Amino acid sequence: MNVLADRRPAWRMEILAAAALAPLMVASAAMAAPVDGKIAYLTTDFHWSVYQTADGKAECPQGLVEHGPREVFTQLFPNGGTEIETHLAREALKYFPEDTQDPFPYPEAVGPMAIGLNLDDKVGPLDFTSPDGEEGIDNQLFRIIGCSRQFRGPEGQLQLFANRGIRTDLNNRSVIELSGVDSLENDDEVQVTVYRGLDRHLTDASGANIMPGGTQRIDWRFGKKYIQHMTGRIIDGVLHTDPIDALVLPWGIFPGTFGEFMFRGAKLRLEITDQKAVGLIGGYADIETYYRTLGNWSTHHLAYGQLDPSGFHRKMRELADGYPDEQGVMTAISSSLRIDMVQVYLDHSDPARPQQQAQR
Amino acid sequence: MRRIICASIVALACAVAMPTQAQSRADASLKEDYVRAELPPGFQVVYTELEGPVYADQNGKTLYKWPYQSLRNGYVGDEKGKSVCTDKTSTTSAGLMSPYPPGLLLPDLDTRPSCTQMWPPALAGENSQPVGKWTFITREDGSRQWAYDGQALYTSALDAQVGDVLGGTSRSRRGMRHPAAREPIRPLPNVPPGIMVVTTFKGRMLVNREGYSIYVSDRDTANASNCDEQCTQVWKPVLAPALAKPQGEWSVIERAPGVLQWAFRSQPLYTYARDIRLYTQKGSDESGWHNVYTQLSPAIPDVFQLIDTQVGVAVGTAEGKTIYAYTCADDALDQLSCDYPGEPNVYRMAICGGGNVDRCLKRWPYVTAAPGATSNSRAWSVITIDPRTGHLARSDTAGALRVWAYRGRPLYTYERDAPGDIKGNAMGEWSGMRNGFIALWVREDFAGNDT
Repeated sequence: MNVLADRRPAWRMEILAAAALAPLMVASAAMAAPVDGKIAYLTTDFHWSVYQTADGKAECPQGLVEHGPREVFTQLFPNGGTEIETHLAREALKYFPEDTQDPFPYPEAVGPMAIGLNLDDKVGPLDFTSPDGEEGIDNQLFRIIGCSRQFRGPEGQLQLFANRGIRTDLNNRSVIELSGVDSLENDDEVQVTVYRGLDRHLTDASGANIMPGGTQRIDWRFGKKYIQHMTGRIIDGVLHTDPIDALVLPWGIFPGTFGEFMFRGAKLRLEITDQKAVGLIGGYADIETYYRTLGNWSTHHLAYGQLDPSGFHRKMRELADGYPDEQGVMTAISSSLRIDMVQVYLDHSDPARPQQQAQR
Repeated sequence: MRRIICASIVALACAVAMPTQAQSRADASLKEDYVRAELPPGFQVVYTELEGPVYADQNGKTLYKWPYQSLRNGYVGDEKGKSVCTDKTSTTSAGLMSPYPPGLLLPDLDTRPSCTQMWPPALAGENSQPVGKWTFITREDGSRQWAYDGQALYTSALDAQVGDVLGGTSRSRRGMRHPAAREPIRPLPNVPPGIMVVTTFKGRMLVNREGYSIYVSDRDTANASNCDEQCTQVWKPVLAPALAKPQGEWSVIERAPGVLQWAFRSQPLYTYARDIRLYTQKGSDESGWHNVYTQLSPAIPDVFQLIDTQVGVAVGTAEGKTIYAYTCADDALDQLSCDYPGEPNVYRMAICGGGNVDRCLKRWPYVTAAPGATSNSRAWSVITIDPRTGHLARSDTAGALRVWAYRGRPLYTYERDAPGDIKGNAMGEWSGMRNGFIALWVREDFAGNDT
């Protein structure tokens, strides 16, 4: 599969990005085996996969989501009221969304196209087809976010600011290291380890462009929970990992909020070179984790993109399609995240160094 | 061995007052020195556990300012030379924190205090005279109110004893950690130019002018650095200017001819080249290196422990569950706090229980105190709460709980946390900072943006 081909029909910036990466694809043909069989990549961008046409009519025939916090408030409380019955009641719903009785519509995105991976290796009636024709794409989350201004590019708040946090917030510094690599073109068995890094991205002189070749120390102490292992293979320059039960990635979508996302049955499909790794994380996003991280954003910020939290939660529960609990209630929803990474050198130094507890 | 420069006038003090390294790092009895300046008659400097030395009125009550600040839809606080804190009780919201519009009726109006009831202005007597930065502003009713550096001064109705700082703190993250936004005013710390002191959970911590943390090494001896060329690749000496003079607890050592380094309480000071964030404790992970405090905060009660989470160190219960504090200010123009027991409880109830007290108590249980538990400090305390109302209660009140409190506010755990989790962190309005729960952070390695 050509990972980049996923993005062909998407909006203008993606076409430009794909064109810019084309030379790298050519370059990958000449990739030598990495030193010691290891190569690491640092995350520079995360974007929830949204298949998006120019006017949005194909994927959003009912239009975009219009009932955000401001609109809902105006409709429910045209004459104001008390803080308790209005403002606090709406904030309460953010943390107890199951209480909602809101009647407001939430237009879903429709197929047939969506970006993502085939997570269950089946082609089902609710599955999508990828832009390059792969069937069986599992991405029910797209139905919820595809018509939300928060998630649509190029200026959706969550597309823009949450992604910016990948570069500005140390908490979000996910790194993967491939080991046992004989060739970046084809290798039938490689190991993939996920870490959190501790250093800034290396940029060019402008400070705006992230460059390969930086160094990252590994967060052995606070980042322990993010050290995770996967196995996989490289086929024609594309890394395919086997599903992992739970992949947890730190991604606080607002500075200082320390959010994270958990993907059940997660797998990576990344086009790799000695400079970059670009592709998708597919998996069933754990709803509780997703909603909690989303809720770390203030209602003010969510209002910019008409995202009413309890309405969003209602749709997540409605469309959840994976990992049923003991009562058979689905706890996760199929999803896809585009990930952009640059090559870095990992400083593994002294992992056994006894870390002092902050005691006095 | 590096030479010590001690001015003759302080040489004796230098010689006899050189504390051991352990003292300067960990001696809780050491207090922050400050620059003496003339005060209005009766006003004084008092030591507080969490804020170090602060200015207080003639009754020993801490003095606060309310700096002008921007919120999302407008400004609150005092401009210099004015006071907007009046005796008129606010009745409606101001709509300062969108998306909610102004004009909503505030809760508990029958008992809501005015701004001046919560923040009594520090009024000047008829014969008072301005002194240095201490001047007056004229209130609307014609009375004169003390101001410091142009900023109107108040005391807090929450403070009861000398040294209380329950009204507010200078500890801040993006200005919203304590959203009522009143800060105690303080004398200047007695530190050399280029060095600052910031209030942290652990104490009043030294940083350089940019905000990078300052450290000391166990390998150094009194007024002598043993950090060699290789060491200084990572640990950058805090250099002193050629004309630097010893002052108080500060001395100067000569690393090489003409290269001077500051020492505090006889310990040479450094910054950590690998710090990429401000105000960190990252360098203290290196064996033998420590942050430096002018004054330590009281130790946490023995029943608690420090726990590692994915983003730093928090205070935890004996079982390892993260402990949270609740912070709140309302959306009225006078920005009254709503996180102290007795203040409107409906804000917390919305976040912790969706308005349902039973659900609140289940999801955010109080950190209860064992029978007979007491605190050795005032920062930490055991208070009696009526859990149904969230108000302070008499011990014989039916259903009353004895709970742990920090800064007079009750503490909580989050039902869905396993030990080490911080799932409850940032839960509430504005990422938990205006009406919500924030973990009791001792060390935040990942807060905010990179520098």
